[in-house]
Amino acid sequence: MKDQNKEVLYGLYDDDEILLDAVKQARENHLDIWDVFTPFPVHGLDPILGLAESRLHIAGFIYGAIGTAIAFFGMSWVFTRDWPIIFGGKPYWSVPAFIPVTFELTVLLCAIGMVVSFYIVNGQGFGVDNPTLDDRITDDKFCIAFQTNGKSESEIEKLRSFFSESGASEVNSKTI
Amino acid sequence: MNQYTFDSKLKTTLLAGIGLGVLCMIATWFADPAQIAEGHTHMRFWTNFLHNTVFFTGIAFISLFVLAAFTTAYAGWYVLFKRIWEAYSFFLIPGLILLLILGVGNITHFHHLYHWADAAEVANDRVLLGKSGFLNNTWYTGGTLVVVGLWIFFAMKLRSLSLEEDRSGTADYSIHRKIRIWCATFMPIAAFSSAAMIWLWVMSVDAHWYSTMFAWYSTASWFVSATALTILMLIYLKSKGYYTQVTEEHLHDLGKFLFAFSVFWTYLWFDQYMLIWYANVGEETIYFKTRIDQFPVLFYGNLIINFVLPFLILMRNTTKRKYGTLIFTSVLLFFGHWWDFFLMIKPGTLETAEHVAHMHAESSDHGDHGDHAAHAASSFIEGFTIPGLLEIGTFIGFLCLFLFVAYSQLAKADLIPLNDPYLEESTHHEVQQDLSGAGGHH
Amino acid sequence: MSAAVSSIREPLITGHKTYHDITEDLIGPTEKAPNFSWVVAFLLSVTLLSFGIFCLIWTFWVGIGSWNLNRTIGWGYDITNFVWWIGIGHAGTLISAILLLFRQKWRTGVNRAAEAMTIFAVMCAGLFPATHTGRPWLDFFMFPYPNTRGPLWVNFNSPLLWDLFAISTYFTVSLLFWYTGLVPDLASVRDRAKGVRRKIYSFVSMGWTGSAKHWQRHEYLSLILAGLATPLVLSVHTIVSFDFATSVIPGWHTTIFPPYFVAGAVFSGFAMVQTLMVITRKILNLNDYITLAHIESMNKVILLTGTIVGTAYLTELFIAWYSQYTYEQYAFFNRATGPYFWSYIGMMGCNLIIPQIFWWKKMRRNIWVTFLMSIFVNIGMWFERFVIIPTTLARDYLPSSWSYYWPSWVEIGIFIGTIGLFFVLYLIFCRVAPVVAAAEIKAILKTAGDQYVGENAKKQTHSHSH
Repeated sequence: MKDQNKEVLYGLYDDDEILLDAVKQARENHLDIWDVFTPFPVHGLDPILGLAESRLHIAGFIYGAIGTAIAFFGMSWVFTRDWPIIFGGKPYWSVPAFIPVTFELTVLLCAIGMVVSFYIVNGQGFGVDNPTLDDRITDDKFCIAFQTNGKSESEIEKLRSFFSESGASEVNSKTI
Repeated sequence: MNQYTFDSKLKTTLLAGIGLGVLCMIATWFADPAQIAEGHTHMRFWTNFLHNTVFFTGIAFISLFVLAAFTTAYAGWYVLFKRIWEAYSFFLIPGLILLLILGVGNITHFHHLYHWADAAEVANDRVLLGKSGFLNNTWYTGGTLVVVGLWIFFAMKLRSLSLEEDRSGTADYSIHRKIRIWCATFMPIAAFSSAAMIWLWVMSVDAHWYSTMFAWYSTASWFVSATALTILMLIYLKSKGYYTQVTEEHLHDLGKFLFAFSVFWTYLWFDQYMLIWYANVGEETIYFKTRIDQFPVLFYGNLIINFVLPFLILMRNTTKRKYGTLIFTSVLLFFGHWWDFFLMIKPGTLETAEHVAHMHAESSDHGDHGDHAAHAASSFIEGFTIPGLLEIGTFIGFLCLFLFVAYSQLAKADLIPLNDPYLEESTHHEVQQDLSGAGGHH
Repeated sequence: MSAAVSSIREPLITGHKTYHDITEDLIGPTEKAPNFSWVVAFLLSVTLLSFGIFCLIWTFWVGIGSWNLNRTIGWGYDITNFVWWIGIGHAGTLISAILLLFRQKWRTGVNRAAEAMTIFAVMCAGLFPATHTGRPWLDFFMFPYPNTRGPLWVNFNSPLLWDLFAISTYFTVSLLFWYTGLVPDLASVRDRAKGVRRKIYSFVSMGWTGSAKHWQRHEYLSLILAGLATPLVLSVHTIVSFDFATSVIPGWHTTIFPPYFVAGAVFSGFAMVQTLMVITRKILNLNDYITLAHIESMNKVILLTGTIVGTAYLTELFIAWYSQYTYEQYAFFNRATGPYFWSYIGMMGCNLIIPQIFWWKKMRRNIWVTFLMSIFVNIGMWFERFVIIPTTLARDYLPSSWSYYWPSWVEIGIFIGTIGLFFVLYLIFCRVAPVVAAAEIKAILKTAGDQYVGENAKKQTHSHSH
């Protein structure tokens, strides 16, 4: 993405319901939406856009399982192999006493792993300055954007007419 | 189809099931294992009686409690099928009768379920003597009558208000507000009284032992069973063409409850076990020591059925939305928590029965029988260390009785409370939407 | 919007807000200069904090002997305050996670502030275990790592070590959860800002664009984190309760401790949220977002958890008698009638009896009563910990070692200091980030705004039809 500047044509909508209708219309007309930007997660948008289900939970499960294994086998190793000590008359391998730490490490690794994965796949991070199309998108505007690199005039015109038909309040273009 | 008809075919099936249960119970009467038969306590019969009575009455109670809790919390999604819980709560009436039989048995000694009910024993036992202010027939029989009677009163009150709501218009919510007040009132009453009842019915089977967690733990067990039975009931009624508006969205939520409360039950199990294991006080550890040494199948099986399997199966979202996995897990958990109560009740009563048999043997001058009884505990005893076929038969009998009561109630009113203010929300229920108010995938 | 909402529900956003109004109202406060009352509150908090820091330095300089602990009572103010703060730190995650799973929409009004409160409270709590040895520079001994001291490991069988894991995990996960939720709102601040402020908010908002795919992942992540945080929040106070319950001290060793501590934590946490919310909605003028419906719902949770805690008190009391174990019976007799009877009265009164006034709707919806009650509950829950800890220790098995404990000025000073720290952090937070989750409020506007649901909405549709 970084090697080439994107030319973007985008329309702003004033309401989430108008946006949903517009996205439906765009999909029906087989317009290739680059992205949709909204101030909050709009209910029902994902299925219309055809977004695939996130696989974050699978990653989370794996991170969690790693945490479980590290904690449980780590403590077992320490107390049965590395330096066995009897505490309070309990056996070396005191499984009930290992459960709390095992649980905590499972949750910890799962949470950290998922959050870090989330920001990496999103291309986000402290100091990252992703270009935005309009400052009002985080306020009250709902935006549909098309990439127009290499598109002919007539194609762009078609997109413009789509915006005006679907009730966009503003249409702009930007190179990012 | 909003009017359920309790057809004769199902009636016959259920009556046959009840008949099977009765036959099994008659057979159990004569089937005490050798080492306790001498005491003539018919302990296998009476423990099965107590076990199933407490299990099913508890499900009836918890259904009422859940109804009250959801109403108080302004929940809307469950309204479509709330009649099922109303119907379940009516098993409290036969439950009370069964419990009173046990209560009378304590007084007239036709069973020996409770060590503390034996006056001669109590007189020689400082701990039991000290406890006799609570562990006595007045509290057991009178308390059961008053408390379960009170629950029945609330069940009937909520049911009649709910039916009144059906008849009145939707315009004002005065009846719903009334229901809400009754529900809120029921909650603290239920919390206090159910704890006391569980101590009496179940915990006092091990008369010397105590755990402050016990009431929470058994209540969680009831809750999971009730949720499992609700899921099975909904799927059954849907297969018969009722409850078409109940979708996989509702089942998904019930599945989440099943999952979450299985984990919660495990949490309580672990807390109770770990604290007793860790502190290592002999008076307390005896409870788990007996169970681990003499009932290992029950003890470890309990954790596998009620935690490991449902946890692994229900972890994914998709399994909470499919009939196959839901039916499998619900059946598993329903049986699993019945098994859990089996494990709570049998070891204590077996000990009491052996004690009685021992006394009996001593009084009839066969000294060696006492040793025999003491050693028998470590061997494999069907009906005590593991549920036998007769126990399963009795379980089926009680289940059929429970369902018979529930279906009879369901047939008496509309399946869907048409004037409930939250009905609209319930029929449009979508899991993802409500979670965060927006967004979602399907 | 297609979503069906029962007309019996009260609106959660009043004042006919548009999306833009929400941005103005919630992001706006971060852009204005602080008002006078904020400055006064801030200076006061900084003063308290400074005194606390002074007392901490005193502790390190003079040694732990400056505390009034003695051979019988080795746990006093430090652990009491630690448990109290950790308890308060439970409401945030509860509101975000459990209420999210129980689909209680009113959580959106208060979740952000409650989560922030959680983080600050856990920081205050962590201060006590970190300093109670008097040698905080040796705290790294608590962590298990390969080291040069031989193969010497921490004691994984000790509940105190479990606590270290539980609290650091809880702090980390709460922080991640809170910050991830905050990022879209920080982007809102960024997009309205100019100059240096824009640069700063651009840095902290991590390049958030509002793309549909990002929102999808964001929601997914929030849900899973909520699902993780729910058992986590239970585990944290459970483990705190293990600190006591795994012992064989009468009055401490009881199996109900884990759920009872969790209920108590939620109870005190909600009380602190109420305290903060009543003040915040007044100072930042957020009455339209933190409505009486929110306050009432929280008061109901307080009533519910208060009653659960009360059930646990009575269960403990009853089972102590039922156990027929003399020492257990004495422990409870001593709590009610011993030298610390006043703290027992404080506990029972503030936690069990007084909250019962919330059975009356009028009381639940009265701001002053709510505020007063929240203070009562905070005090009552502090007493509860005090009852459990010094009262129990003061009466040993051996009457010859019976003792009495009262904190020294240094211990009181440190406690006051943590209150200062808590409010300093909260006040800074109010200035730099939106205290109500703006994006989440926008997301529920059409199902909870007063132009869409409730009394006004009914009237409107009525007049339209004529």
